[in-house]
Amino acid sequence: MPSPLLAQTPGETLLLLGNEAIVRGALEGGVGFVSCYPGTPSSEVPDTFFRMSRDGDYRFEYSTNEKVALEVGAGAALAGTPTLVTMKHVGVNVAADPLLTLSYITAPGGLVLLSADDPGCHSSQNEQDNRHYARLAGLPCFEPATAQECKDMTRDALLLAQRTGQPVLLRTTTRVNHVRGPVTLGSLPAQKTRKEFARNLQQYVPIPAHSRVQHRQLLDRLAAIGREAEASPWNKVSGQGTLGVIASGVTRCYLRDALLEEGIEGSVKVLDLGLSYPMPDGLLLSFMEGLEKVLVLEELDPLVEEHVRALAQRKGISIEVLGKGEALPLWGEYSTQMVRQALRQALGRQSHAPQHCAPEGGLAMRPPNLCAGCSHRSAYYTVREVFGDEAFYSSDIGCYTLGLLPPLSMADFLLCMGSSVSTGSGFASASGRTTIGFIGDSTFFHSGVTGLINAVHNDHDILVVVLDNRTTAMTGHQPHPGVDATALGPNPRKVEIEPLVKACGVEHVITVSPLNHKASRKALEAMKALKGPRVIIFQDPCVIHERRTTGKGKPQVAVAAESGQGCLDVLNSLACPAFVKEDGQVRVDEELCSGCMYCLQLDKSFKAKKRGA
Amino acid sequence: MQRARIFFTGVGGQGTLTATKLVSLTALDEGLPVTSGEIHGMAQRGGVVESTVLVGYMSPKITHGEADLLLGFELLETLRALCYLKPGGVVVSNSQALPPLSVATGKAAYPELEAVRAKAQAAASKALFVPCRTLAEQAGSAQSANTVLLGAACAVGALPFGMEALERSVRKYLKPALAETNLKALALGAGAAQS
Repeated sequence: MPSPLLAQTPGETLLLLGNEAIVRGALEGGVGFVSCYPGTPSSEVPDTFFRMSRDGDYRFEYSTNEKVALEVGAGAALAGTPTLVTMKHVGVNVAADPLLTLSYITAPGGLVLLSADDPGCHSSQNEQDNRHYARLAGLPCFEPATAQECKDMTRDALLLAQRTGQPVLLRTTTRVNHVRGPVTLGSLPAQKTRKEFARNLQQYVPIPAHSRVQHRQLLDRLAAIGREAEASPWNKVSGQGTLGVIASGVTRCYLRDALLEEGIEGSVKVLDLGLSYPMPDGLLLSFMEGLEKVLVLEELDPLVEEHVRALAQRKGISIEVLGKGEALPLWGEYSTQMVRQALRQALGRQSHAPQHCAPEGGLAMRPPNLCAGCSHRSAYYTVREVFGDEAFYSSDIGCYTLGLLPPLSMADFLLCMGSSVSTGSGFASASGRTTIGFIGDSTFFHSGVTGLINAVHNDHDILVVVLDNRTTAMTGHQPHPGVDATALGPNPRKVEIEPLVKACGVEHVITVSPLNHKASRKALEAMKALKGPRVIIFQDPCVIHERRTTGKGKPQVAVAAESGQGCLDVLNSLACPAFVKEDGQVRVDEELCSGCMYCLQLDKSFKAKKRGA
Repeated sequence: MQRARIFFTGVGGQGTLTATKLVSLTALDEGLPVTSGEIHGMAQRGGVVESTVLVGYMSPKITHGEADLLLGFELLETLRALCYLKPGGVVVSNSQALPPLSVATGKAAYPELEAVRAKAQAAASKALFVPCRTLAEQAGSAQSANTVLLGAACAVGALPFGMEALERSVRKYLKPALAETNLKALALGAGAAQS
């Protein structure tokens, strides 16, 4: 049955995840091409498009990285097709190069870039504020706050992009991507708009003589869109009083609830900034009329606050501008409580500390962990056996980053997607120490391969370990160029990693199953004796992905037949989550055991038995 | 209209998010202004899963001291999340444990049920502990432990709708093959709450 997201049922209300609502909004805006690199909190947007791609009237692709996704999307939009490109906030750094020029040359078919920011670092290495990219590249910026707005703003962003040719930024944050709420559907366009590409060198080929002109044209387009923002239904004023509050993104939700709980709805003047860039200066000026103070609410950086401050100074308006400070930090997420506190400060009320019992200290932590039977765990185990603390470990972004925890302790430093090979190379070169770079298969295709080519070219002394589990496991098992099959069927044109590594000029390459302890050890010992760029590919499918795609698990499980010291040693050094220590004895939880049979190779006290027997 | 904030906490793989979705869908079908929040990402790998359902609010987030109801799908996680409860709120929790790795390897201790009960009773107007996994197995599947907990919460009037609405949702939104087991699980949870 086709997804209800594809149905022509205007007026129907569905309970949707923010990310699903974005998909529907793009469809209502006539999207015809979607590209992405997955990354939490954006992943469910492309995943939903992927699952519906047999029934939907659009082209979808998982690209190898964000730069490629934007470049492919730009091509589609240049050819006249309304396009959505999705990624997480750090992905936009990867795509920044084409982005800053695409906004010069324009994308006539209409292009919306979804940047899913992550204040609070729920699943990211930093919490950068990507509204800076709107200012840097010259992109109009929409900031939805609810599931309904996720749909409606995506549609409007795509329509604006189609009308003006200017690429548009849809900036969400984790809470908005993962909100679930009622969404009333609009109608889907009866026919797709597809513009014809009209050759125009001055417009589309940014040699310096053209770029100089294009920059000024970009500023003119932004000014025109700024004039539209003055009257946009997404920028609206409500309430009255001498205190004004300007709020953008999810802070608009916290503000609404804070006003409700403080019992001051209507007696504070509020400006909702939904289309938050370019700033509607006329609207801001008329909003400030008659106000004594204005409080600005925005997560992370004070972009709106500083703009309002500068605008007031330029126009000689005497007004107190409140924003970042004690109650409202430059880091992390806001909350209703925080906004209540800021409102109370602004109103000169006493502070309101919510009553609650103190968070319990000293509780056993529950950090995320490599799964039972995860092939990365056995790969790490054997590497530690052979190299121990002698080597330094350069890590990368993926499930395998979880190997940083003891007892595996397999990450000494980490920078960004694809950095393990290149940062490891630099580290080895400067320190002269044995350095091992770990990289997953999807990350290798994303941007690890360029680092490997560099290592060959500059003869870096690094052992690269490709942890190839045949999928992009971290973000939900999305396919990449090397996978055997996808949710939609077999992958007919596979890019194999080993020949690719050889073609890069790496002389010493071994592919081995990390679940084969003896063979893995042998491969590692061989590589330990060598110098220069060398690669081991540890290849075994992600245990969860394999179970889901084949529909069956492995037939056997491990049992601890006798619980001696050897058994305890394996528990302490492998730390498989299927092991339980009870009264000094080791037991294997049959429900958790995946049947990888790795522990049997480490100690004779582990035996195999038929599952359920 | 009665506003409500419900905080869900559990361990990845327990069905915490499925339960959250079921409560949201039921609220929507009952015509309530519902919004819900979840944090994904590490959920599959045995980490903590926290989610929210709010009725009558716009924000999807709950901070310390704000929750009217704390639904704990795992005992240790109930204790960890107790600070989200507002004074006099209600706690409905699984009384059974899923030990984290540090406990399984004997490096950390797991709190006693009675200690958690005492702390919850001190913070809440009502604190209910139900052996969800055992009852779920009685219902026919350990996977329905999350529904047992919902049944218990509904039976003590802690959810913004009645048992009939919840039963309707189980029939409407769960796979037909699972509906009977989960209806039984709801009833067993409700029974445990009332005894």
